[in-house]
Amino acid sequence: MTSLDTEPSVADGLEHSLDPSWIELQRLVGWIVFAVLVPMLLIGVAITALVSQLPWWVNGLLLVAWAGVGIGLAWLAQRWPAIEFKYFRYRLDALGIDIRAGVVWRRLISVPRSRVQHIDVLQGPIERRFALATLSIYTAGTEFAKVDLPGLPYARAVKIRDHLLPGREHAADDGT
Amino acid sequence: MPPTTGPERRLHPSSFVFSMGRHLKALLVPGAAVIFTAGSSGRDWEVWLMGLLIPYAAAALARSLSFRYRFDGEEMVVRKGWIFRSERHIPYARIQNIDAVQNVFHRLLRVAEVRVETASGGEPEATMTVLPEDALEEMRRFVFAGRQAGAAPVAAGDDAAAAPAAPAAAADVLLRLSPREVLLYGFIESRGAIVMAGGAGLLWEFGVFDRIFASMNDGELVQRGLLRQIVRGTLGQGGVSPRIVLQTLAGFLVLLLVLRVLSMAWAFFRLHGFTLRRAGEDLRVDYGLLTRISGTIPLQRIQTLTVSDSPLHRLFGRVSVHVDTAGGDGGEAKPTKREPIAPLIASRDIDGLIGSLLPTVALTGDIRWERVHPRASRRAFIRTAVVATIGSLFLLFILRWWALAAVPILYAWAAIYALKYVANLGWSIVGDGIVFKSGWLWRRMTVARFAKIQVVTRAASPFDRRTGMASVKVDTAGAANAEHAVEIPFLPSETASTLTATLYAHAAQTAFRW
Repeated sequence: MTSLDTEPSVADGLEHSLDPSWIELQRLVGWIVFAVLVPMLLIGVAITALVSQLPWWVNGLLLVAWAGVGIGLAWLAQRWPAIEFKYFRYRLDALGIDIRAGVVWRRLISVPRSRVQHIDVLQGPIERRFALATLSIYTAGTEFAKVDLPGLPYARAVKIRDHLLPGREHAADDGT
Repeated sequence: MPPTTGPERRLHPSSFVFSMGRHLKALLVPGAAVIFTAGSSGRDWEVWLMGLLIPYAAAALARSLSFRYRFDGEEMVVRKGWIFRSERHIPYARIQNIDAVQNVFHRLLRVAEVRVETASGGEPEATMTVLPEDALEEMRRFVFAGRQAGAAPVAAGDDAAAAPAAPAAAADVLLRLSPREVLLYGFIESRGAIVMAGGAGLLWEFGVFDRIFASMNDGELVQRGLLRQIVRGTLGQGGVSPRIVLQTLAGFLVLLLVLRVLSMAWAFFRLHGFTLRRAGEDLRVDYGLLTRISGTIPLQRIQTLTVSDSPLHRLFGRVSVHVDTAGGDGGEAKPTKREPIAPLIASRDIDGLIGSLLPTVALTGDIRWERVHPRASRRAFIRTAVVATIGSLFLLFILRWWALAAVPILYAWAAIYALKYVANLGWSIVGDGIVFKSGWLWRRMTVARFAKIQVVTRAASPFDRRTGMASVKVDTAGAANAEHAVEIPFLPSETASTLTATLYAHAAQTAFRW
């Protein structure tokens, strides 16, 4: 099973990071979550304080907890994407694709090319702003029936898709 | 596409009755409930029950009269529907299995309900209620012949088995269970809980329990909080008296015994005359005393194979063998899970059976088991010790000082379990597949062929990384209701990396054919 690629191939067997603008994208997503969740929690705290006749210090603790959650979410939004980025890698070769991800629980997912059923290249509204795309690889597996690789420049995502999709040597194959 | 178009075939004339019967069964329990409860107050229930039947009958009639199927060159074509018509093309090469069910009435008329399944999961691709027995045989012939023709040009590196098959060889029996073996299976497996739960559900439906509880409590109706009340009542008097403990234990033992006996009866009806045959490249399974079930599984469709045993299995020198196909044995579609391919087989015959199911896997004789990380037992003990701690706290809470006797036992168990569990972990590359075994008292061993591996993953938790370990998992098709999967914990970090790379490379070099 040799590769059919002619031009400088994406299947160079080297580890690649995601596109650095993915960090900005994740930050934006994080801050959107922050902007929705934090005011909602504050309203929740306020209603609890007004409705239930709790002692003042319990309300104070609730407020402190709210501030803690807010700081945590802000940290997640601002700092976490860069940390996650550091551990997110992918590698393509003639046989298929390896994806490494996870900061605390580290995972390596290896999908052989011959097991790829079909591939989606997805672009959400925020991804479009950053000209990024997510590659969704579908296999006949159970737990890993769908494997996602986010943060790719759109053109590169399409190139990877073309590389991974079964070529002519599989035409006679009866796998769906 | 299809070079030939076969003549169209219809269902058996009695189809409409069976099709209706299936819906009637759904009405049976509520119907009976109506009979029991409304029995005294007039008989108008009959009227609305009959009213419900008319649309059912019309729909069933339309469904079975409009159903047509034919065998083309490479595919089976199913046309159905009267107002909304559908035509479904099912290539022979995609068919995972053909199952047939015959209850007593089916057998009287020599017909069968047939399900054709592909890898799409969930519902069967086509359900035929009902076909004459010889039409079923004909279908098997066509599908089998069609697959042979379709498979020939695909000289893929995968299933060497699929190519040079003996032309529909006379079926050779791989396993036949005598009534004694069937009863033994029932005893070992203890499926009595199924019978018990079914019976309990039925009684609950009729409100029998409420009446029993009411009579036990001087007419005062206790509802579902009975257990809680018993617990509260006994705990309220400062702990549990030994007499109650003994009584509970005795009751528990009797219950276990009853469950085993029920299980044997269940096995006798369900698995009577269990026969596993190999016809060319297909497996045929037939079983059942009243309801005969007959399944066909192409050998090539076996995704993983699992051999399991328990202390009782070992006492009698037997093991059970399950196979996973990617066929749609989806939870809801079928009332019970697919039965094992070999419910019970003598341990010494297992090599022969695996040899004929997976000829390319060198699983016979001695396997050179690779071990996990030397410090794995310590990791395993931490896990079991956490369980033991939670158990001890719970016991302390319930039994107070009595628990102090139980706590050392719990921790000893945790230590022994961890040691034994790790000692029984093992993996090995055998021929064109990987085999993984685990379990101390209940042992499982699973084989996955490279050609059926979809995705390989290597994972490392923070605990793994601190101790230089990682786990490797193999994902296959249709593994959702698998008994046991190849998921190897506590591997040395480098071993995990090389194993992942090896499996990935092997899988990539084979073409996957469902």
